[in-house]
Amino acid sequence: MADNLKDILSHLSTDIDQETLLLYLQDKLSEEKKHEVEKKLLDNEFANDAMEGLQEFKDKQRVSLMVEMLNRDLKKKTEKKKQRREKMRLKDQPWLYISIIIIILLIIISYIVIIKAMKKP
Amino acid sequence: MNKGKYDHITDQDLLERFYADHNNEWLGILLERYTLLLLGVCMKYLKNEEDARDSVQQIFLKVIQELHKYKVEYFKSWIYMIAKNHCLMKLRDRQGKMPTEINDNLMSAPSDELDQQSLLKNDLAFETMEEALKELNQEQRQCVTLFYLERRSYQEIHEITGFTLLQVKSYIQNGKRNLRILIEKKMKESPNN
Repeated sequence: MADNLKDILSHLSTDIDQETLLLYLQDKLSEEKKHEVEKKLLDNEFANDAMEGLQEFKDKQRVSLMVEMLNRDLKKKTEKKKQRREKMRLKDQPWLYISIIIIILLIIISYIVIIKAMKKP
Repeated sequence: MNKGKYDHITDQDLLERFYADHNNEWLGILLERYTLLLLGVCMKYLKNEEDARDSVQQIFLKVIQELHKYKVEYFKSWIYMIAKNHCLMKLRDRQGKMPTEINDNLMSAPSDELDQQSLLKNDLAFETMEEALKELNQEQRQCVTLFYLERRSYQEIHEITGFTLLQVKSYIQNGKRNLRILIEKKMKESPNN
């Protein structure tokens, strides 16, 4: 009995992963697992608030779709900077090649001009 | 959901990586872990599915902006507070009223964890637990016993007792809180302390 009662005072590891929360929401967990989730919810105010809100969705299946959509949108927002950097890098590259070619050509032309000038009496 | 190559990295490590190179992709990975929780919290306060979804997007933007400005130590508590305050602002705009803003310390450590730990270490707490349990009212005692000792789910307790699911949850929450208070009181009164 004492071991079970310890749960009342315990505050250790109350994190619940999103997948488990969704399964709980959609009533797809065993009674034992449900109990585990509920025990953690009692000590996790954030998750408990969230679960109360999620239970208000009329269509529980729609929640996962909404989360996926939000995640896709988030990914677009946070990847923008990187894509822009990559685009910049791609755009920069032709100029880099052109500049190198021009410099090499200038060196060759200068060499030829200097040689010719030196040959003249 | 949220299963990927970054699962082994803690929230704190992701934040540190972001602060090191200011690459928003780290924030994307971090925020993705909270999408469902944020959606739930927004729904709880706003009671509207579309508003909740839009609010999550706005919270994402706010978090990204704020994290560029200053360092956050306890990300989970912080983002929870950002979400609650965002919803309260929305409600204020909606109702034209001024709800009380949540004033929890955004940078502070999660609640009374240390107190809980010290309480746990004390064996006296367990000795007084059974005694305290008897002092709860009948409904709370019945629900707490079924939940913690018999490890029943809310649904099972509802079927056994006939209480509604909301009542079950409330009896367990209140029973647990009352038990803590009773134990603390008994431990203070104890001559061993």
